[in-house]
Amino acid sequence: MADAVIGTLILLALWQGLAFALQDRFLIAGPAQVLGWSIANAGLIGRALVVTGSNAALGFLAGNLAAIGLAALALVVPRLIPMISGLALVVFCLPMVATGPILRVMMGPGNGPQIVLAALAVYYTTLIPLLAGLRAAPASWLDLIHVYGRGRWAELRHIRLRAALPYLAAGLQIAAPAAFLGAMVGEFTGAERGMGVLTIRFTRALDIPAIWSLAAIAALVAIAAYALIGGIARRILHEPPPVILAPPPGGPTQRGWMQALAVLIAVLALWWAGMRLAGLSPFFAKRPSDVLAALAWAPDAAQTRGTLATALAQTARHVLPGYCAGLALGAGLAVLLGLVPRLSAVLTPLAVALRSIPIVTTAPLIVLLAGRGAAGTVLLVAVMVFFPTFVACQHGLRQAPGRILDVFDSYAASRLRKLIHVGIPAMLPALFAAARISVPAAVLAVTVVEWLATGGGIGGLMSLSASVSDYDMLWSAVVLVTLMSWLGHAVISAAERRVLATHAPEQVRP
Amino acid sequence: MPPFPLTRRRMLQMGAAGLALSQVGLRPDPAHAAETVALQLSWLHSVQFAGSYIAQRNGWWRDAGLDVSLLQGGPNAPVEPPVVAGNALVGISAADYTAAAVAQGAPFKIIGVAMQKNPFVIASLPENAVRQPADLAGKRIGMAIANTPVLQALCQLNDVDFNAVQIVPTQYSAQPLISEDVDCLLCWETDLPVAMAMQGIKAVTMLMADHGYAVHSQTYIATEESLADRRDALVALMSGEVRGWNAYRADTDAAAALTVEMFPDAGLDLPTQKLQAQRQVPLMFSAQTDQHGFGWWSDEAVEDNIRTLALLGSKVTPDLWDRSILDAVHGG
Repeated sequence: MADAVIGTLILLALWQGLAFALQDRFLIAGPAQVLGWSIANAGLIGRALVVTGSNAALGFLAGNLAAIGLAALALVVPRLIPMISGLALVVFCLPMVATGPILRVMMGPGNGPQIVLAALAVYYTTLIPLLAGLRAAPASWLDLIHVYGRGRWAELRHIRLRAALPYLAAGLQIAAPAAFLGAMVGEFTGAERGMGVLTIRFTRALDIPAIWSLAAIAALVAIAAYALIGGIARRILHEPPPVILAPPPGGPTQRGWMQALAVLIAVLALWWAGMRLAGLSPFFAKRPSDVLAALAWAPDAAQTRGTLATALAQTARHVLPGYCAGLALGAGLAVLLGLVPRLSAVLTPLAVALRSIPIVTTAPLIVLLAGRGAAGTVLLVAVMVFFPTFVACQHGLRQAPGRILDVFDSYAASRLRKLIHVGIPAMLPALFAAARISVPAAVLAVTVVEWLATGGGIGGLMSLSASVSDYDMLWSAVVLVTLMSWLGHAVISAAERRVLATHAPEQVRP
Repeated sequence: MPPFPLTRRRMLQMGAAGLALSQVGLRPDPAHAAETVALQLSWLHSVQFAGSYIAQRNGWWRDAGLDVSLLQGGPNAPVEPPVVAGNALVGISAADYTAAAVAQGAPFKIIGVAMQKNPFVIASLPENAVRQPADLAGKRIGMAIANTPVLQALCQLNDVDFNAVQIVPTQYSAQPLISEDVDCLLCWETDLPVAMAMQGIKAVTMLMADHGYAVHSQTYIATEESLADRRDALVALMSGEVRGWNAYRADTDAAAALTVEMFPDAGLDLPTQKLQAQRQVPLMFSAQTDQHGFGWWSDEAVEDNIRTLALLGSKVTPDLWDRSILDAVHGG
């Protein structure tokens, strides 16, 4: 605790010093300025916080309830699991640049789109751990229930729900900052007030103290929500919430391909029927056939494909290094803290803070600091990927089997040796789980930064297409981005199965 | 919702009756007579749309039997979808965006032009100023890559070698210019230079409209269907706009104060709004609007727009512009 306080003070001093050194460049406002501005504008910021906070809370509630409902459905009808997780992934991958305006047209003025986008931002990270948690019950307990002649209901009530609770807590903790981000991005679709609206306003006005104050307050709120949910979970569960260690969904087997095909057909059907039923104008709400035509046989199809390929290549140059750096940093820091545990008190709060600041407020700041080239974008993607990886790997390291460590201890093996031979193999399942869940997060980060700050790549192309009403291009880009996230997810799942079959066979047993 | 079923025609009749009554000092009960319509703005609330706020606050639309809601825009709120979908009767767009939407099949007409002169400027610092298009040669310009055709058009209109200008992709902020990462910025006369002035930094601005770049901005768009079926509502909406903007011109400080007062949660600052309000006057009003009224345009202006739009890669015909609503407003 004392370490954390000292660590925070050092960070604040560094921040203030940097602000002082760069004060004429309109880049950084220090903590003193931020405090001054926040006090002077307490009413304005307070009202904005209430609006965005309540939208985020409603979205958090709706998204998590939806996740719990879907998980329950999956439990009752296990055959639906591949379909549910497949559809859930596709919906989670949909870029907000495209969904925002459609939600606004469908829901009209008010808070609708903000709440829906917040819900969309959270349900996946709750659903996946829940699906894992509901299955994480030891078989012998289930056998016990059956020996007593009780049915599925008793099984659910006495065993599965309890086994799932820690997983639910982990999901909810990740969801809190995500809901805030979703609500802020939702405000970009024409909301009257809120933190997102103020962020746009102050970025344009070059009001540096205001931008930094918004970022700091958003971060504080997100950290508070994170800590609160963590605290409640600790009270109820009496042990720290575990991290998602879900076995990857079906590999590239015959059945896997069939399931993928079924998901694809379902997505196309829902897409087409949804737009039909909502009566959305084909001017901006393109159907699957429009996208196919635009990419395959329209007169300018070749040009469309070329534009998309160029944009996608540019995005790949940002997202791949950022994603790998984030994974390496997360795993590396977890390993470092395993070797030097004292550092944890200082570095863990920093890691939580970094992840909690909504990317919408950090994007302009990081681009201001790191430049408009690749560096800023790569950095932001890395930050998005880093935190879940770090938390998961820390948990994974703690899973190292005690009896094996005892053997190493009796041979007086060094800490490093134990880490290489016991800790890192034990960490692998967690690392892969984080890598899988981080794919959509990385794609979300890169498209948001390109859209709001750098203007390049597929995110920039999507916003440009919307501004010049080229909705064929926009929807083609949406399909491509979703497909890429899905493929990335599938590739990592395949690698995961292969590696874990050697290092952690218990994770991949059916 | 009205307490008894009303057809659109009856509501329009009542609206017209209300208009007539209001002229003899009698006002209809707005709760019963008002036809609900929406005006989709192109960006966040600010003095950029103050004419509409004045009309709203003074009840000029209500008196004409219209209940107008002003829908705020934003970075993820394109104007065209709500207008096509019918959520908004009129949207605030610009000739280039409208032309693009029409090319994609949207049935839009421009029924009024708020910004006669395009607000795009090249902003620079006085010690390294861009005052003429020729000054652009050898300069680093900060702008969104998406605006490359705009710069190309400006260069072509003024015989400047486009390849001699170095484009630096930047986000929409004055910061790169202040820290001298670039020599100039492509931005609006009414936002980034105003932000710089409020920070005490003087910027030189070269208005692209003064150098041949003719693209109508802040244009009012409506669908052909609305032009056919909802003419009275369109005329009433545009009359309120005209009245509001005339009042705006008479006292821009009051317009700024009203804007700040109406949107206390928008983070607006009164001195900034006052300066922005002054700066957009020369873009919106000219000898021509003095003669024909706010929002009006000449046939020559349309020809100039068509020429510039062709340089931007968009082919349009004069019938993109429809003056019939304004004729009714100013004639009636």
